[in-house]
Amino acid sequence: MQHIAPLARLVEQFRRLPGIGPKSAARLAYHVLAMDREQSRELAEAIVDAKEKIGYCSVCFNLTDCNPCRICQSEERDTGVICVVEEPQDVAAMERTREFKGLYHVLHGSLSPLDGIGPDELRLKELLSRLREGGVNEVIMATNPDVEGEATAMYIARLLKPLGIKVTRIGHGLPVGGDLEYADEVTLSKALENRREM
Amino acid sequence: MRIDKLYLHNFRNYSHLHIDFSDNINIFVGDNAQGKTNILEAIYLGSMGRSHRTSEDGDLIKWDEENSLVELLFTRQGVANKLGFRLTKDRPKEVVFNNFPIKPREVMGSLNTVLFSPEDLWLVKGVPALRRRFIDVEISQAIPAYYKQLLQYQRVVSQRNNLLKKIRERKAAADLLDSWDDQLAKLAAYLVAKRLEAIKKLGMLANLMHRRLTASRENFSLAYHLAGNEEGVVPELLQWYNKQLALARGEDILRGSTSVGPHRDDIILKVNGKELRNFGSQGQQRTGVLALKLAELEYLKSETGEYPVLLLDDVMSELDGQRREQLLSFIRERIQTFITATDATLFPAVRIGRYYRISAGAIVE
Repeated sequence: MQHIAPLARLVEQFRRLPGIGPKSAARLAYHVLAMDREQSRELAEAIVDAKEKIGYCSVCFNLTDCNPCRICQSEERDTGVICVVEEPQDVAAMERTREFKGLYHVLHGSLSPLDGIGPDELRLKELLSRLREGGVNEVIMATNPDVEGEATAMYIARLLKPLGIKVTRIGHGLPVGGDLEYADEVTLSKALENRREM
Repeated sequence: MRIDKLYLHNFRNYSHLHIDFSDNINIFVGDNAQGKTNILEAIYLGSMGRSHRTSEDGDLIKWDEENSLVELLFTRQGVANKLGFRLTKDRPKEVVFNNFPIKPREVMGSLNTVLFSPEDLWLVKGVPALRRRFIDVEISQAIPAYYKQLLQYQRVVSQRNNLLKKIRERKAAADLLDSWDDQLAKLAAYLVAKRLEAIKKLGMLANLMHRRLTASRENFSLAYHLAGNEEGVVPELLQWYNKQLALARGEDILRGSTSVGPHRDDIILKVNGKELRNFGSQGQQRTGVLALKLAELEYLKSETGEYPVLLLDDVMSELDGQRREQLLSFIRERIQTFITATDATLFPAVRIGRYYRISAGAIVE
């Protein structure tokens, strides 16, 4: 179907978003056209505003609207512990636990030769220089439990060894509140492997 | 394991098809290209989450249609299950198991099948990849975790291979390999340990079958060939892989591919201690494959507690009268079987099971 030019342009813009196919893109575009003028202006402004005001923290590379970010600036955080994650979303997930009181470092990806991502494509040098400044006694590797995340964690652990900083890896295990019998076999065998004495 | 019903909508050359199956033997008879194998393909899809004939899900959708639906009702350990696939052009397929959406890779292990098709006759003489696939499919059905680890392993190998090429072109540092080797060794050790276990069981079962097929004249055995190990003794796997990967590193970088690991191993079929590939006659090779296929049925029964469903795709015409007879007498009244054939006369005169005549994407009688 042929769209009128401004509509076609809007559809094309929506299509570029992740998880949006041609049909969803068209639906969103028609929805925007059905909005009143004020609403659509707010949407457009929200996009531009977020894009303009949010950047990466120069210390931890998480998303932030001030630099350094609120977590890096906070007086209440434990500056001796850094949790290394792949994406800014992972920081948000860790923060929801309200358990972790240390600082973060966002790598912006994981090692994946197939996607052309090597150490230079990650915020690794920045992590190393943060650690060389001293004051950090533990680095927690919280990369994803897939093969790329594991490779990244192992690579960084080896890299940090000469610095003499303790490196830990978050545990793999069973979801809390779940039934043992419904856990998938790989998770269960990992949980068994990482069992602890009590 | 029993498949009760199959429903197809816009699948291959079927617009609509609804079949209630017999508990015993179901025979689909018809000329070539009428859609006999498509029915077996739908069952295989329900078992493995993919077709045995194509890796493109789009090929399964009826020509000129946008989407397709496959529904299977089957009974496993006395419990009724419903498995549905929705295929949409240019989209990943959606799978629903007992009304819950699941991932395609989670399909493996619910509906267990053994497929015997003319390609299996290549198991003896064909490339090692065929034999690896054979054993992987077997174990994956018995132990779904094996399949997940296998997928991870394959991912690690392709990442490592890509990295090797980059190192060769001096676009990456060699020490990056360490973190992939570490994972590769762990996964390889797990996979090979499981394969060795399965080969042992399967070899024993296949020998029983083989002796029955040859009136105890011949002994059949299976051996596992660990690529890079010429000792004849199975080493402590994790340690061994760590060592082999380190030794092979230079060569691997030059070649841009990984030379050790279960993706390089092979399974050797022997009769009376001699390699079937080199020394077996055509007849012996066919008997060997048949023994292996029957052993598969027994293996899955011993691992899961019940016989899988047997799919015989165009294979009856490849076997001679005696072997056909032996096969049918083995499955009769124990194993639900789906057979495709162009010629109904291949079957004994007595009516065994239910016949379906297939013509141009429909059951005509």
